Amino acid sequence: MTEAIKIKVTDLSFSYRDRPILKNVNVDFAENSITALTGPSGVGKSTFLMTLNRLWENLPDADMTGTVEIKLQGRFRNVYAPTMSVTELRKMVAMVFQAPNPLPMSIRKNIAFPLKLAGEGNREFMAHKVEHALRMANLWDEVKGRLNDDARTLSGGQQQRLCIARALVLEPEVLLLDEPTSSLDQTSIAVIEELLLGLKDRLTILLVSHYLEQVSRISDTIVTFDDNTIIS
Amino acid sequence: MKTRILENFTVVFAWLAGLVLLSGVSLLLGYLFFKGHASLNLSLIFGDTPPLQALLLKQRVFEGLFPAVAGTFVLVVLSIAWAIPFGIATGIYLAEYAGPRVKRVLDALFDVLSGMPSIVIGLFGFSFAVFLHKHYSDRIGPCLLISSIALSFLVLPYIIRTTQAALEGIPLNIRLTALALGATRLQNIFLVLIPRSVSGIMSGIILAIGRCAEDTAVIMLTGAVASAGLPRSLFSQYEALPFFIYYISSQYADSEELMQGYGASIVLLFLCALLFVTAYGIRKGLSHFVFYRP
Repeated sequence: MTEAIKIKVTDLSFSYRDRPILKNVNVDFAENSITALTGPSGVGKSTFLMTLNRLWENLPDADMTGTVEIKLQGRFRNVYAPTMSVTELRKMVAMVFQAPNPLPMSIRKNIAFPLKLAGEGNREFMAHKVEHALRMANLWDEVKGRLNDDARTLSGGQQQRLCIARALVLEPEVLLLDEPTSSLDQTSIAVIEELLLGLKDRLTILLVSHYLEQVSRISDTIVTFDDNTIIS
Repeated sequence: MKTRILENFTVVFAWLAGLVLLSGVSLLLGYLFFKGHASLNLSLIFGDTPPLQALLLKQRVFEGLFPAVAGTFVLVVLSIAWAIPFGIATGIYLAEYAGPRVKRVLDALFDVLSGMPSIVIGLFGFSFAVFLHKHYSDRIGPCLLISSIALSFLVLPYIIRTTQAALEGIPLNIRLTALALGATRLQNIFLVLIPRSVSGIMSGIILAIGRCAEDTAVIMLTGAVASAGLPRSLFSQYEALPFFIYYISSQYADSEELMQGYGASIVLLFLCALLFVTAYGIRKGLSHFVFYRP
């Protein structure tokens, strides 16, 4: 690998209710690229994403060993170090889920929500950030006239782009996507793939996907999971 | 063939059961209105006092239900006001923070509390008042404050359970949404989980309102009396509709007094209906407000 490394995963094992999900995973991910994670269902791809932003800690009866280091703000940091704030980590390592999950509020508030969580109160600054994030997600032109509408009135593809915009509003360095297009139609999928390709020079993208065509269309590297570990 | 019969029988039985329940309720309400409608007029509530003067608290009402209506209203509002913060906080703790062992113990304790006969809770309130009287001040006795605290114990389990159930019913993907965006645990609870549970929590509060308005055993031991006028302070005795109904039905002197009892029952039903409608209104407005506030 010639590019700079962004994420280093060493000896990662994960179990859920004493059932092993991942065993001794060792893998590196390159900076400013799209890496596709593929493999059959139930081999721990989604779980693997959750070990990178520590979201699995909110699942009951889950356990993990091993280390994850991510280059954040220019230096490698162990995300499980006691000095690592989990909320800070999740602001830098954002995640988009399989099903679009807009919160039941207006489009504007959905995008501004992470800023509010971070304690931002300046309306003008937030309006600017909301516009910027929606533009990055190629959604601005479609929604600029109705930012105060309920986000759930958008189409499925628009909702998913809204979720991507919401994940981008805090300017993360890593974006994790868990099968983001599996519930969408062909046109919406194409729009989102386009969008991800455009985001590549700003951040590092990890994408779980079942669709081999999609994987070959947009990814720079492919990591295949099988039998609870990585085979290539 | 056999299963067909069983299928049909089940449907018929369900219909019959519903019908029995429905006719029970309509019989009860019908009887009440049939017996009590004659006594339903303004003088039932305000006696000889002009209603406006009474409502503005300028003149005392002697021969009417107004003090009892006011007493029950204040009692319900106070009890709910004590029970809400403790009930919701406990519900949040049980659903979001308690470990499995603590949860099992507390679950058992709250089951015991919800199965507690109201007379026992009344007795507890009474002993509490006596204790305060003995050790702190001669001026404290059974009063509005003690009654409302005892009643709030009675309805606490409703609010705890509904809050807990509403929170635990939230699917995992919604739980994780805000967390993945950098929310702390507390932010997630107050900005996403509680707003989503408002409707469920309000159902618990509506149940609790009904219980507070009708309970007689607790209040007759902790401060409700037959004649006290309007409630003047937290430390005064008071009149209440369910106690009035109990009192009249057990020692009425003539049929006119008995009619007053029927009238009071209807007034109590209306008061409950009013409180329910208010709570439903708040439920609707609140769930809208928490998500769309400016």
